[in-house]
Amino acid sequence: MYPFWEVPHLTSGLIIAMIASFHILPSHLATGAFWFMAYIEGKAINDNRPELFAFLKRFSLFILVFCFVIGSLTGVGIWFSATVASPRAISGLIHNYVWGWATEWVFFLIEIATIYAYYYTFGKVPPRTHRRIGLIYAWGAWMSMVIITGILGFMLSSDKWIETGSFFDGFFNSTYWPQLAFRTAGMIAIASVYAIIVAASLEKGKVRYEIIRKAGAWGLCALAAGALFATWYLNALPDNSKELIFQDMIPPLKTMLHVAIGAAVAVAVYFLLFGVVRPQLACRSFGIVMMLVLLAGIGAGEGLREGCRRPYIINQYMYGNQVVARDLEAKKVKGEVEFFQEHGLTSRLLFFPDQLRIFPEEHLAKAGRIIALHQCGNCHTMDQKGIRPLPGLLANLGLEDAESIADFLDALGEYPFMPPFAANEDEKRATAAYLATLIPAGE
Amino acid sequence: MNIIDVVQYVQAMRDPAGLPFYPLVFQFLMVLTFALHIMFVNFVVGGITLALWGRMSGDPKALRLSKALARASTVNLSIAIVLAVAPLLFVQVIYDPFWYTANTMSAVWAMAFLIAVTAAFYCLYLFYLGGKKESRNGNPFWLVLALAAAGLAGYIIHSLTMEQLLADQWQDLVVKGLDVDTSGTVLAGFSLPRILHFIIPSFAISGIFLMIYAWYFRGRSDYPEDYIDFAARLGGWLALWATVAQAAVGVWWLISLPSKFNFLSNPFFLAGATSGLVLLGLLVAAKSDPIKWAPRAMGMAFVTLFLMSYAREALRSLYAEKVGYSIFDYKLNVDWGSTILFLATFLGGLVVLAYPAVVAYHAGKSDAPLTEEPAEGLGKVAYALTIIWFVVVAGLGIFISMKNGTLF
Ligand code: HEC
Repeated sequence: MYPFWEVPHLTSGLIIAMIASFHILPSHLATGAFWFMAYIEGKAINDNRPELFAFLKRFSLFILVFCFVIGSLTGVGIWFSATVASPRAISGLIHNYVWGWATEWVFFLIEIATIYAYYYTFGKVPPRTHRRIGLIYAWGAWMSMVIITGILGFMLSSDKWIETGSFFDGFFNSTYWPQLAFRTAGMIAIASVYAIIVAASLEKGKVRYEIIRKAGAWGLCALAAGALFATWYLNALPDNSKELIFQDMIPPLKTMLHVAIGAAVAVAVYFLLFGVVRPQLACRSFGIVMMLVLLAGIGAGEGLREGCRRPYIINQYMYGNQVVARDLEAKKVKGEVEFFQEHGLTSRLLFFPDQLRIFPEEHLAKAGRIIALHQCGNCHTMDQKGIRPLPGLLANLGLEDAESIADFLDALGEYPFMPPFAANEDEKRATAAYLATLIPAGE
Repeated sequence: MNIIDVVQYVQAMRDPAGLPFYPLVFQFLMVLTFALHIMFVNFVVGGITLALWGRMSGDPKALRLSKALARASTVNLSIAIVLAVAPLLFVQVIYDPFWYTANTMSAVWAMAFLIAVTAAFYCLYLFYLGGKKESRNGNPFWLVLALAAAGLAGYIIHSLTMEQLLADQWQDLVVKGLDVDTSGTVLAGFSLPRILHFIIPSFAISGIFLMIYAWYFRGRSDYPEDYIDFAARLGGWLALWATVAQAAVGVWWLISLPSKFNFLSNPFFLAGATSGLVLLGLLVAAKSDPIKWAPRAMGMAFVTLFLMSYAREALRSLYAEKVGYSIFDYKLNVDWGSTILFLATFLGGLVVLAYPAVVAYHAGKSDAPLTEEPAEGLGKVAYALTIIWFVVVAGLGIFISMKNGTLF
């Protein structure tokens, strides 16, 4: 096992989530915005309305300096944080999907070339050339979504891949199409809010209201379609995920679902009232507020997607604590749970003090801390407060001494959202001894 | 009792799924994309430094150059970031045990690296914004900050790379007596000649960048001849002397390597060094007319970067061999479908990329707005290719989903 990075209170998983939430807005905006832009530019050219170009230039600058740069930095950031939080999981993904990511990278190159060419050639090249570059950007950016959705969907529902190990069987999985449709609708909705914000900084008048009204209509349609796609998406989830959400097995998941729905409804009302019906009322600051609402909704949606995957980090294949869950014959991969239960996790732990390998009674808890981090630390903090703190959770169940904790560890796999305890008897004893030291005295 | 040593560890940590294609291909792509990435990193580091120098120097030509470089560096940095994705991906495919070990033990630094790069970009951007209007100049303070942030990022990534080479020290870095360091704050590994070998070329490569800048903008009415001449000569001078310094540092680095590597007689090293010498000769010849020689110098500089990157990779494989690791005995699960998907996209992508490049080239070179569509045919092909890509992939997807019953 790789060295474990312990983040006090938060867990390293939350660091990924934090970076990912900064990634959502710029990345979806950078993919969606140019569709609206190409539409307005088409109008400007075909109806011969040069006044629309002022809007376009403003619209694209922020996309360039904020969305594109922050989007690519946080994208790399998700990777780096996943690397340090769940190295074996990202390794598993990369060793199966490297060509998918490499293909997506080709589209990144196309995006960066076209977005700079687009921005710096405003008014310097014939309109048709300019619009074509914008369209290539729009397609290229959407293609990066077409690709990454395959990998995200694979983590949620691996389907046939478990039998065949084939790239495309995992890529075009059962949540792929609904998720792609849903994300596409989401990106258009984000782009529409952004268009309203930018248009609201134009001079009051016909052009401003016209653009706001169009953006409102785009956004409203996108959200209406999004509602349909969301139903499809939720329906397509694997059964274990549905149970976790709808049978209240992990209550926060349902809350996230409600937040996502609430945000979408609020933004839809906004599109209708401030976009379609009364564009005169739209202003920049309220638009920004609505952007944040939408962002909260999307964040909740992504949280839901991450949360309902448990106990897996890669559906059916790898558990959240980075242990391979089962054999994958097509690739000659062996499941690791039984191996670790028989031979011990320490057989793969280089970063473990040699003196502790015999599990001496007097240092049992020290040895147990490392095992516990590897087995539980991806999802639980060991501190008293924070993300799913183990001391409190164990105390709540009335587990206070090492023996009862050891029994609990034996039964861990019976929870629908937790992986089985994958370590041998000595290691379990040590883990239980360590966990017992965490329980606050006198409770 | 379980005992495991580092030799067993690097074998055990290899990804159980194996590689989806032959390791040589990943290695080649990794080196190629790394060389591209590092070229843009060099542009940025040299560009920021020169922009700072130009801002402080008081010479109006240098000041103008400073503004141009600040703007170019924001673009170059964002390109460098995007280019980084590919080598980052491929190194994880073939050197995963090394990459993940170093990164997790230095997790905090890996996160700090991201913050440093972000800070460098926005400091640079703020400087550029400050000087966007002709009458005003950016605050050099932002450049100092940008340089500091870039320096920190460079230092971190250098250390992370060194850590990967020092597998025999890993255990001692993390296990301290009876305790295990899980704080992610380890940062070991520093080699002065090695890091200099990355910094000095920044000036050589940026010098050549200036030559190309002069070559490209010469003849535009808003670029006076003496300014173009200034940029070209400065560039030629910088490229030449930085390359000389680079050769000296290279020798130093070579001496500092473990002698049993016999790196001096390593074919990759010899190819890289030869190419460096050819570049040096070319730069000497370019002294008389740096503009004329600019494209050739840039081409040769890239060849040198590429070969030197391969030499660096050869060195890495020597370090890996010390713990019994070779990328060439990695388990294989060849997946032709996805390999073809990538290769086809890559080749098609080059065609698509050519279009904005050609348009930008013509638009920037002309004084007045273009009235004719540049490369219209290429544009139509490029646009069609993106749509064809989607149609083919979606068609394949629908077919597979129907076959597997995963469509609805
Ligand atoms: C894949 C992530 C994951 C891993 C790994 C994991 N857990 Fe959990 N655990 C959860 C989730 C999710 C919950 C539900 C928390 C909630 O309801 O908010 C939970 C709940 C618990 C609870 C409370 C159960 C109850 O019935 O109230 C305990 C105790 C617990 N975990 C202990 C452990 C221990 C000990 C380990 C390591 C051996 C571990 N967990 C590993 C995800 C995980």
